[in-house]
Amino acid sequence: MSSSSTLTCTKLTAWTLAAVFLQILGLSLFVFGFFPVKPTLSGVSGPESYQAPKCDSKQDHLERNMLPPDQLRSLYKEISKIPSSFDRLILMVVDGLPAEFVLGKDDQPPPKAMMEAMPYTQSLLSNGTAIGYHAKAAPPTVTMPRLKAMVSGAIGGFLDVAFNFNTQALLDDNLLGQFYSIGWKMVIHGDETWIKLFPSVFMRHDGVSSFFVKDTVEVDHNVSRHIEAELMDNDWDLLILHYLGLDHVGHIGGRSSVLMTPKLKEMDEVIQRIHLGISDNHHGQTLLMVVSDHGMTDSGNHGGSSYEETDSVALFIGLGSKAPDYASATCNAVFQVDLAPTLALLFGVPIPKNNVGIVIAETIDSLTEDHQLRALELNSWQLLRLLRAQLPGLLCGLPSCNEFNYSQNLGISEFKGNLEEILYCLFVKAASLHDYWRSMKGQSVRSHSSNEFNDTVAAYNKFLRTSSDWLSRTASNKPLGLLAFGVSTMFISSVMFLSIQFWLNKEVRNRQRQYLPDSDKSGYNWHLDDSFVLLVILFLVFSMGSSSMVEEEQYTLHYMTCTLFLILLRKSCQFLHGRQSPSLFNSNKGQRFNYFRTFSIVLVLIFGRILRGWHQGGVNWIHFPDISKWLEKAGPHMIKSLQMVSGLLVIILSFFALYISRLKRMFILVVQISLLVSGILVLLHIMRYQEQTFSASSDSSNVVVQTIYTLLIMTVMVVVLGSPWVMPVLSGTTYSAAEASSVTSFFVDHDTRGPFLGLRASLYLVGWTYAVCWCLLQLLLQKPTNAMPTLLLLLQVLASMFYFSTGNQHHKQWVEVAALYFLGLAGHFSLGNTNTLATIDVAGAFIGISSHSTLFSGILMFIITYASPLLCHLSLTMYISMKGTDYKLASQDAHFGHILQMMIGIPCLVPLSLNSVILTTFTVILLIMRNHLFVWSVFSPKYMYVCAATVCVYIGLSIVAATVTYTCVVFLVRKNMLSSVGNSSIQTGVTNN
Amino acid sequence: MPTKKTNQTSDVGNISVSISDAFLLHSFSGLGLAASFWIGYNIYSINLISDPVQTLRLLCIVEIPISILLHSFFRQNSKQCSYWKAVVQGVVGLPVGALLMAFGAVVLGAPVGIQYLVKTLYWSFLMSAFTFVPTACIYGSTWKDWQRLFAYTKPIGVLDYIICIPAHGALIGAWLGAWPMPLDWERPWQEWPICVSYGAVVGYMVGMVVSMIFVLILGRGQSHSKRE
Repeated sequence: MSSSSTLTCTKLTAWTLAAVFLQILGLSLFVFGFFPVKPTLSGVSGPESYQAPKCDSKQDHLERNMLPPDQLRSLYKEISKIPSSFDRLILMVVDGLPAEFVLGKDDQPPPKAMMEAMPYTQSLLSNGTAIGYHAKAAPPTVTMPRLKAMVSGAIGGFLDVAFNFNTQALLDDNLLGQFYSIGWKMVIHGDETWIKLFPSVFMRHDGVSSFFVKDTVEVDHNVSRHIEAELMDNDWDLLILHYLGLDHVGHIGGRSSVLMTPKLKEMDEVIQRIHLGISDNHHGQTLLMVVSDHGMTDSGNHGGSSYEETDSVALFIGLGSKAPDYASATCNAVFQVDLAPTLALLFGVPIPKNNVGIVIAETIDSLTEDHQLRALELNSWQLLRLLRAQLPGLLCGLPSCNEFNYSQNLGISEFKGNLEEILYCLFVKAASLHDYWRSMKGQSVRSHSSNEFNDTVAAYNKFLRTSSDWLSRTASNKPLGLLAFGVSTMFISSVMFLSIQFWLNKEVRNRQRQYLPDSDKSGYNWHLDDSFVLLVILFLVFSMGSSSMVEEEQYTLHYMTCTLFLILLRKSCQFLHGRQSPSLFNSNKGQRFNYFRTFSIVLVLIFGRILRGWHQGGVNWIHFPDISKWLEKAGPHMIKSLQMVSGLLVIILSFFALYISRLKRMFILVVQISLLVSGILVLLHIMRYQEQTFSASSDSSNVVVQTIYTLLIMTVMVVVLGSPWVMPVLSGTTYSAAEASSVTSFFVDHDTRGPFLGLRASLYLVGWTYAVCWCLLQLLLQKPTNAMPTLLLLLQVLASMFYFSTGNQHHKQWVEVAALYFLGLAGHFSLGNTNTLATIDVAGAFIGISSHSTLFSGILMFIITYASPLLCHLSLTMYISMKGTDYKLASQDAHFGHILQMMIGIPCLVPLSLNSVILTTFTVILLIMRNHLFVWSVFSPKYMYVCAATVCVYIGLSIVAATVTYTCVVFLVRKNMLSSVGNSSIQTGVTNN
Repeated sequence: MPTKKTNQTSDVGNISVSISDAFLLHSFSGLGLAASFWIGYNIYSINLISDPVQTLRLLCIVEIPISILLHSFFRQNSKQCSYWKAVVQGVVGLPVGALLMAFGAVVLGAPVGIQYLVKTLYWSFLMSAFTFVPTACIYGSTWKDWQRLFAYTKPIGVLDYIICIPAHGALIGAWLGAWPMPLDWERPWQEWPICVSYGAVVGYMVGMVVSMIFVLILGRGQSHSKRE
């Protein structure tokens, strides 16, 4: 009856692969369209930047000046008409220092402990020598994009985060390039990101790697040891000191880490040494700038866009002008990009071309009025050029502003018209005021002149602020055609997945009807649990349209998953007592199992609640108490003992589960021993080496960790490749029913016929090995507080596995797989992940890696972040081994393709379809939200996570599919070998096509 | 539908529930809720948002006796089971149901802690009065009936509709009521039991109305078939 709609295995595979391919294609198209490599002006600013921009942009590119540095320097000095007030610059970057530590928050001075930790800096601030700014950094608050922003004044694209671990040279116009072109000698000590960004400009460098996050002492010592010598020398013009220690302290212990105050003291001493060293003016006027690239959250992470993360500091020490009081020296707010034009103007180089910042007013206060206006003018010209690149009509044919007589109509500040006109009029107003001021300067009385001066400054500032805001806000033109194509491709692939899924379900139903005519037909009616799975997806998808729901997704997922399991609980209550389910069990045994099943769901629910309580997560309620905070307060002994308990329990569980399998004891013993050894090594590592968080990871710990990696990989390989060859291919006659019945631990199946016993035993073994190895790996890599959640996740998976395995007919298979998938998603958040980039555990990604390798750290980071979804995907192997009946259905005409299709069809397709629905809808949501205020801070990071989850689904499912296919092929080959030898008498029921 | 009619006589047994009985029962429950809100607001000047604990306590004090006393009139097997026995069943069922409700709430994410204990306690007692107590009063501890009402949700006859639909309404209402809790609106009613209690009360009300409609339809069908 199903011959016309039969889905062969090849067809299924082909369609699925096509859908996957379409999805990848659509996703990559969309990603490259949506996360733009922002349109930038090519080239670098030269002498032409000291002339007013004209309508025609060609003239700017005319002369590629090849002047030697000295001539260029004097040329700049001449045409800029601003005398540079400083000869040298010391840029001290304190990675991750929040401005709050130095300047306080909300006009309040910083806490007393912080004040006392930095006495010298505070004294500089209070006597007016230093001016401090809250320099608001743009997200993503990660080091490399922020350094780029500081030196180029441009706000980078979001994808810069992805390249943060693969630093590339900065080719855009930037300050360092400008300094280099006028012959400055530059020195860098500290974070080697600088050296990677600027491979050739430094005369001297001593780079330290930012990748050994656990080291907080050596990184900074390696920088500070150069200070004395550099201060004595006079061969440099720019000295960059990039201190990483404070960021590392934050990553390890958060803002309130015990190491924070000593680290601040150390930074203060460095500032003192440098300031005292440059005060004597032996080598000319030196400006000391103390900046940070980003702030940090309370837990010490960064990457997102919260106030705590974007609140970076910028201190100018030794400017000519003096701040009148402490408040005015500390309560200023600027943007981080403003540093680039400010430094360019102070040191007499052209402002970098793509700068969107504006010059910081107080820094040029010491200049004469003439020079101040000139600085503002230069800044305006540069922004105007950048604007012209995005609004081509800006300087041409906009005569509407000309009739204003600005000396009279100063009150007019509201311009009507489109953006180009507004910007143009603002600029024209400022420029004509400037002209007017120039003409007045010679003749008029001083007071009048100062009035005019203030008006001009205000007009310039208005233009600068407006255009800077527009430039930094505007997400540059997105290629809508490309985006639409990407989205529609993803949509098509999603529809394909769903229809394949639908066909497969129909196929399964037909088979069931065909081979089990007496089975309960109502089992294939639409049930509450089926519709609820759809409801979960709908709720998830709709909730992602709201930014606060995205931020608090852990609640939604936990709520929906728990409700799904409560519905399963309700369903399992249907089979308690009285009513006999159409199951394989006799009533007595079945009844007992029904109680166990109900209890296992209750366990899943309880574990789920504990997991929910482990990390509060999210953004808004993150300060609420949770178990991990409590553990950290309780101290390392508590955490360590929990870790040991979790490790031991995982080992014991694996022993128990493998012990139950009675086939091929010797092989299993080998597996058990290797698991035991790796487990013990993991425990050893926890006991011995985890305490060394504050010093560089030692060699011996690396050796241990690498041994564990090797051992785990070896075990998995041996089991996956070996077990299909070892497990018996013969039917149950060789083994007594009692032995065979317990071949898989939870599985009570009186049917021991068929070749599937060995196959399933082998898959069971492989599935267990996957799960246990994965958990051991997580125990090693995860944060110490996450050890217990790892165990709980494993237990959750096992309990639901038990529930599903004993109730073949109560649920449709796709509901069970979907439930497992949701467990994985919910577990993702209980390991402390959120939808901001800040919670990615960077520290764990360097465990056991002796030399810096971006690839390995990236893989480890992925493993840590996606621990829970991957565990659930891998455990699908075990799930496949436990589902019995469907293969029995197939076994009557055991076509190899059919068996395979029955085994891996639904377990693989359900996660793929669910994920494709989530991916496609969230893509659409992101497209709709592209002008939302939080698009870069909430929706885009979430999209990164969704993309990574897609990758995770691909990886997990391809492992499962490959394993099962391999196992099946091996069994087929062995069976054919056996039957060709001639003892085919046992396999009466099985005919091979 | 036809199965329900045939089973009706055998399952519902010797209790006859008229439409007016059902209407009275529901209107008493509804009035009780309204009255307790009114008393709270006008006499003690409390409401759920400002004083959740006191208001929930008031709701419990009013609603639990109403629920137990009224539903016990409709007990099954009224010959063997006296009115007071049904009341005792309800009283015993109350804490059991509260325990189950509290378990459900905590599992779904209700905060655990000393400061929430009282709130959770009162809320679960109220929920128990909405969902668990009526069935306990009427069916006692007959597993089959419980299973039919709550695991299968297949009410048979007027009585089943009267207790089953408001109970499910309260549960679904409470479930939906929890949705705004994680949002960052910073409203006082997003605190733990408040919006869930509102949801439960609203769901219970809606459930009563829906069950009345069902009862009316069922009653009309019944009279129809009798006439035939």
